[in-house]
Amino acid sequence: MAANNPMGVDKEQAFGMAETEMEYRVELFNRLAQTCFNKCVDKRYKESELNMGENSCIDRCVSKYWQVNSMIGQLLSAGGRPPM
Amino acid sequence: MASSNPETESNNGSSIAKEPEKPQIEAFRMPTMEEMRAQEVWNNCAVRSVASGVMGGGLGLMMGMFLGALDNPIMQEEMTGRQQFMYTMRQMGQRSWSSAKAFAVMGLIFSAAECVVEKARAKHDTTNTVVAGCVTGGTMSAKGDENCKKEYNVSFMGQDEV
Repeated sequence: MAANNPMGVDKEQAFGMAETEMEYRVELFNRLAQTCFNKCVDKRYKESELNMGENSCIDRCVSKYWQVNSMIGQLLSAGGRPPM
Repeated sequence: MASSNPETESNNGSSIAKEPEKPQIEAFRMPTMEEMRAQEVWNNCAVRSVASGVMGGGLGLMMGMFLGALDNPIMQEEMTGRQQFMYTMRQMGQRSWSSAKAFAVMGLIFSAAECVVEKARAKHDTTNTVVAGCVTGGTMSAKGDENCKKEYNVSFMGQDEV
């Protein structure tokens, strides 16, 4: 077992970690899509395609969301306690 | 609808006959990379403004040809048929070229201004169109100032000669 797993984790643990990671990613994507959709797209639909204003709004929204997400992730993982 | 009794079916026979087969709803496909890139082409401000400029040029060409064809020469009685024809052709060519240029510039500037403003504001409003119209009007009038003077001078000179 040790020869097959140089990392020292067995298959179930790795599978569990992958599953948690997958859930986290899916949750992140869903929240991101919902937030930016609610923020950028007007609810009274006039056409089916995204026009240019909505496109650039979505670009900015996703970029900010991702940046904030990674910043907070780093703070939480490094500090252990949020600096308040 | 699926579980209708025979009595209701006979009563609603006319409505069911009116109700045609519902169109099949297609499954939703995510756009492929080629489709996304093809849509991204039209988000580019340069491409949009050039396309608008070309369309404006075409419109100006048509309009100039039509208006030039209506122009009558000054000395109509003295010219032969062929001379009148050549005169009309030259007028049509001149007017179509000048109006094509004017409309192409107008279309280009309007489209570029609207694209830039909409991208900066990240909103789809009529404010974009209003600002773009202001910019276009300002550019056209700032450009055409000396031309207006020339045209006025020529027309006044023509009246003086007559």
